[in-house]
Amino acid sequence: MKRQRLVGYVFIAPNLIGMTVFMLVPALFSFYLMFTDWVFASGQPPRFIGLDNFRMMVRDDLFVVSVKNTLLVLIPVPISIMLGFLIAVMLNNRTYFQKTLRAFFFAPYFTSGIAIAFVWMVLFQPTNGPINAFLRSIGISEPPLWFASPDTAMYAVLIMMTAGGIGYNMIIYLAALQELSSEQLEAAKMDGATFGQLLRLIIFPLVSPTTFFLMITGFIGSIKSFGMIYAITQGGPGNSTTVFSIFAYKKAFNFYEMGYASAVSWTMFLIILCITLIQWVGQKKWVHY
Amino acid sequence: MDTRNKRMIRERVAKSFNTIIMALASLLLLSPMIWMVSTSFKKPKDVFTYPIQWIPLDPVWTNHFKVWMTGDGFALFYFNSLKISLILLIGAPLLAAFAAYGFSRIPFKGRDSIFLLYLCLMMIPPQVLFVPKFIMFDWMRIYNTHWALILPGLFTVFGVFMIRQFFMSIPHEISEAAFIDGAGHFRIFFQLFLPLSKPVLATFAIIDFTWTWNDYENALIFLLDKKLYTVPLGMQNFMLEAGVDYNLMMAAATAGVVPLLIVFFLGQKYIIQGFASSAVKG
Repeated sequence: MKRQRLVGYVFIAPNLIGMTVFMLVPALFSFYLMFTDWVFASGQPPRFIGLDNFRMMVRDDLFVVSVKNTLLVLIPVPISIMLGFLIAVMLNNRTYFQKTLRAFFFAPYFTSGIAIAFVWMVLFQPTNGPINAFLRSIGISEPPLWFASPDTAMYAVLIMMTAGGIGYNMIIYLAALQELSSEQLEAAKMDGATFGQLLRLIIFPLVSPTTFFLMITGFIGSIKSFGMIYAITQGGPGNSTTVFSIFAYKKAFNFYEMGYASAVSWTMFLIILCITLIQWVGQKKWVHY
Repeated sequence: MDTRNKRMIRERVAKSFNTIIMALASLLLLSPMIWMVSTSFKKPKDVFTYPIQWIPLDPVWTNHFKVWMTGDGFALFYFNSLKISLILLIGAPLLAAFAAYGFSRIPFKGRDSIFLLYLCLMMIPPQVLFVPKFIMFDWMRIYNTHWALILPGLFTVFGVFMIRQFFMSIPHEISEAAFIDGAGHFRIFFQLFLPLSKPVLATFAIIDFTWTWNDYENALIFLLDKKLYTVPLGMQNFMLEAGVDYNLMMAAATAGVVPLLIVFFLGQKYIIQGFASSAVKG
């Protein structure tokens, strides 16, 4: 029995050591830093200042902007979940070439990254870009400036994120739909239910656990999103696309205010925790297991 | 008979109609990528012609040559990215499987509390860890080296979680039989569990590969020298230098996406199943 225990530790040891060094210790370190005023390379040791960083933060203009923008980037989540759901329903026995279409829808998600962010940047180019050229050709003489203007940059981000999420949601729904028994659906069809009724009253409730999963992971992913936005805008123009993660990044690596940046990033963690808890409580109203 | 025929025809018409609608929708979502590839073959004057030239009338290869051959070109960024991704492609699943075996098959004191701690760590956003890691890596003298991406990348909670789920589904009778034959945990792990779990290892490896390949944040924070840049960072650097040469930019973007597209079309079946199962079971 004792030997058994030892072997158990041997198996988890490599991973546990790595986790401790690269996650647990940094997490604790950062937890300590958020109560200090430490500035990297200032030569001063960290000084304990209690909750002062948080007092400073709520008065920071950038905090208000980034909270607003972080709430905005939640919008693409339900939209791309809805679209993903509709596409999955269609691809589940209602079309030909299902496998090919599935791959087509999923490929953009799979390959999305910095490269695709730059493609969007050029597509949204305000003077001659293809999107505005199209808008002009259908009679909109002054199309939005997208990433070039603080008023519209966030819309371009939201469009990019919505398009990026559809493929993943579709794949997950499709897997869930294929595990449903077709009996209930057939019975409802026999009773003369329309397609709309079928969707709303039967299919959607049956896949509600999947919807719940996608909402939680989607919201968390959106709050954490950094790369695609930062690569295009660096949080600008002005601070118009500064979301929470960019706010934390700027404080840490543009200004080296490590204590303050830690406070910002833990606030982000709190927001994620709150949203997850709210959804967890709210799920009872609409998720049927 | 007649009504049944009519119903079948109606169903076929509906199905064909749906297929066309869905095909158009998928093309709409794919259009940024199609535009990227076609623009990478255009001359500067053709980039923004409207109506859009989906197939360039006057295609040229020079953009791709420039992207790959210039001083700090993509050849170097590719080498760096491949080096890091391949080490993690082998290392991360193996280390995760090793831990997953301990967490699922050997009862020992404190096991479940440690696993719970892992799940808590999974909730912490990477942004929380960037500052302390930046300082720690500076102390450890791995800041501005590829080790700053490789070492932390070897240890994933997600991988342990995913592979543990799979190990739990392997019937206990199988390992009991091996124990009676005198095998120890290590032999059972290497000779029984690893071969059995090839599909889940492959799935995790592919998902992890795409994350590593696309990882921009860690590279942005922990790499300084241009000669260490990975593909996402190299691309960013290239965009800054290309300025308004959008055809060059798109050639660079194409270079960044192509390996993922190749991986996707080669392993499509596993990838799609993998993503789906990681969500349904995870």
